[in-house]
Amino acid sequence: MFTTPATAGEHAAASVRAGLTRQDRDVAGMAMLATLLFTTLVTLFILVALLAQVIGESSSLLGERGVDFVTSPIGSDPDKIGVWSGLYGSIFIGVFVVLVAIPLGLAAAIYLEEYANAKHRLTRLIMVNIRNLAGVPAVIYGVLGFILFTQWLEPVTNGQSVIAAGLTMALLVLPIVVITSMEAIRAVPGSLRDAGFGVGASRWEVTRDHVLPYAAPGILTGTVLSVARALGEAAPLIIIGAITGLLPETSLTGKFTAIPILIYQWTGRPKPPNSEFAFTESAAAAGLVLLVIVLVFNASAVLLRNRFEKSRVGS
Amino acid sequence: MTSPRRRILAAAIGLALTAVACGGDDEPTADSPSTGVSSDGDAPAGDGSLPGGSVFVSGSSTVEPISIRVGELAGELSGGDLDVVVEGPGTGDGFKKFCGGESDISGASRSIKDTEAETCASNGIEYVELEVAIDGLSVLTNPNNSAVDCVDIPTLYALLGPESEGFNNWSDAAALGAEVGAAGPFPDAELGVYGPGEESGTYDTFVEFAIEDLAAERVGEESIFTRADYSSSANDNFIIEGIAGSDTSLGWVGYSFFDANRDVLKALAVDAGDGCAAPSAETIADGSYGFSRSLYIYVNTGNAAENSALAAFVDLYLSDAGLATVADAGYVGLPADRIAATQAAWAGR
Repeated sequence: MFTTPATAGEHAAASVRAGLTRQDRDVAGMAMLATLLFTTLVTLFILVALLAQVIGESSSLLGERGVDFVTSPIGSDPDKIGVWSGLYGSIFIGVFVVLVAIPLGLAAAIYLEEYANAKHRLTRLIMVNIRNLAGVPAVIYGVLGFILFTQWLEPVTNGQSVIAAGLTMALLVLPIVVITSMEAIRAVPGSLRDAGFGVGASRWEVTRDHVLPYAAPGILTGTVLSVARALGEAAPLIIIGAITGLLPETSLTGKFTAIPILIYQWTGRPKPPNSEFAFTESAAAAGLVLLVIVLVFNASAVLLRNRFEKSRVGS
Repeated sequence: MTSPRRRILAAAIGLALTAVACGGDDEPTADSPSTGVSSDGDAPAGDGSLPGGSVFVSGSSTVEPISIRVGELAGELSGGDLDVVVEGPGTGDGFKKFCGGESDISGASRSIKDTEAETCASNGIEYVELEVAIDGLSVLTNPNNSAVDCVDIPTLYALLGPESEGFNNWSDAAALGAEVGAAGPFPDAELGVYGPGEESGTYDTFVEFAIEDLAAERVGEESIFTRADYSSSANDNFIIEGIAGSDTSLGWVGYSFFDANRDVLKALAVDAGDGCAAPSAETIADGSYGFSRSLYIYVNTGNAAENSALAAFVDLYLSDAGLATVADAGYVGLPADRIAATQAAWAGR
C-alpha cells in the first residue's frame, strides 16, 4: 500500500486508535508466525526422532562393545563385527574431498568471479553447466567415476580402491563447492575491492588479502555441506564396487568399503541365530559413527569460520 | 560470540577427535575378532597353517554369508595372512565379474547359464562348479491366517503369476485357480503380497519353482515373471515386516529369513506334486520339500593352480569345519553323499 504524505497522518491516527482500543491484532502476521514456528518444530522433531531412533537402536550394542565396535573389521557375527573397514574408507573419502574438490572448486570460483568476464558467452555457458552439474543424480557420478577412475586411470587408482571412490566423491561435490564459493565471493562488497585497487594492489593481491578473507565463512559453509554429502552417499560407491561381506585388510589401493554401504547392507541382513545382537543394531551404531565423523569435519570448519569471522576486515 | 558457547564447542570437538584418534591407534589390534572366532571351538586346528595370500569372492548375496564365515575362519587359521575379501552383488553380476577374470570364486544360487558359460569360455576362464549348501524357499503368511495351510503350484500361480495382477483378495484368484486346476484355498480375505525384487536370486528361484511352467504354457515364454503389483524390496527384513504386519498376507523369502523370524511368520506347506510338505531342515535336506535349491561356488581353476592361497581356501571351504558354517549362516547342510560328490569334483579339477 502506498503511503503518501497526505494519507500518512490518517494511517498513523488509525493505528494509534487501534492500539488504544486493542483492535490492533495483526491476524495475518500472527498466523504467519505460528506457521513458521510450527514448521521449525516439525523439522526439529524429525531430527530429534531420528537421533533418538538411532541412539536407542544402537545403545545396547555400543554400551557392551564400545570402542571394540569402532576398531573391529566387518564380518558375519554382529557380536564381533565392527565398523573399522568402513570408517577407514569414509575418512579417506572425506580427506579426498577436502584435498581435491575444495582447492579445485575454490580456484574455479575465484576465476569465474574475479577474473573471467561475466558477460562473455563462454563464461555464461560454463556457469550454466556448473549449475546443471550440481543437479545431476549421484548414481550418474558413480558411473562416470567407475569408467574414469577404475578403468581409464587404473594405473593410478589400482581399480576399485578408496582412491577411485574418493576421487569420484570429489567430482560429485565439485559443482556444489564451486557454486557456494561463487556466491560467497559475489557477496563481498565491491567497495572492498576498489579500496585495494585504490592503493595500487594487483588483482591477485586484492583477491588474496581482501576478497578471500571476507568470503571465507561462506566458502567454509559450502565445504561443510559438500563433505557431509560425500560422506553420506552410498549410490556411487555401489557402482564403484564397495565390498560388502569381508575385508580383513584396509589400504588406499586395495579393495574398500565405506560406512553408508555397511549401513545399507546390514539393514538387509537377518539376525544370525546364535548372535546376541542383530545386524540392524550394528547398522544403527554405524550410523552413529558416521554422524560423529560428519560432526568432526563440520566442527573443524566451524572453528575455522569463527577464526575468519573474528579477523574479518572492519569487524 | 560468548565464551561459554565456544568452550562447549571446543570440548565437543576435542572429544570427537579423541574418539577418532583412538580408532586410528587401535588399527593394529584389528585382528581382535580372531580371538572371538576361536571361541566357537571348531576343531580345524589340525589343518596346519594356511599359506598367506589373497582371495576375492564375489557373486550371490545368498551364498555371501557362508563365504564370509569361511573367510573369517581362513583369516584365523592363517594368523591373518590369508586375506579373503567377500562381496555379494548377486549371482548374475557375480558371473559377469567371474567370467571377466576379476574374481577367484563366484557364489551362485543357481547353475551357470549357457550365455554366462560362453562368456567364460571366450575369456579363457576355466572353472569347477561345487555344490556347498541347500537353501529352502519359504512361502509365508501371517500366523493369524488360519484359512491357509498348504498351497500347490497352480494356487501360487493363480495368486502371484502374471495373470493375477489386480487381485486384492484371495477369492479374486478363485476363477483363475479353477482354470489352472488349483486346489486352493481362496478365502474371502485381503491379499497383500510381499517379496524380493526382480534383481534377487530368490525372485528367480521362486519364478522357476512356482510360475515358469504355467506362465510359459498360458501366457507365453516372454511372460515368465510374477505379477508386477506387489510390494517388492531388496531388503528381506522389510518383506518380513510386511508379511507380519498384515493378517492375510502372502510372500516368499529364503528359508534362513523365515527361520530367524519364526515367531512372527507362518510358513505354508507346499505341494509340488508329492503332497504337502512344510519347510524344515529335514524336509529340505531330503528333498521332500518342493521349494529348495542348491547353492554353489564356482572356482576359477586356472587361478587355483597358480594361487596356493585360493586352493587352500577352497580346501577349507569343503572341509568339515568349512561346511559347518552353512548351518551358522542359516542354510541346510548337504547330505553326506553330496558332500562327497562336491569334494570329488574339487579333487578332480
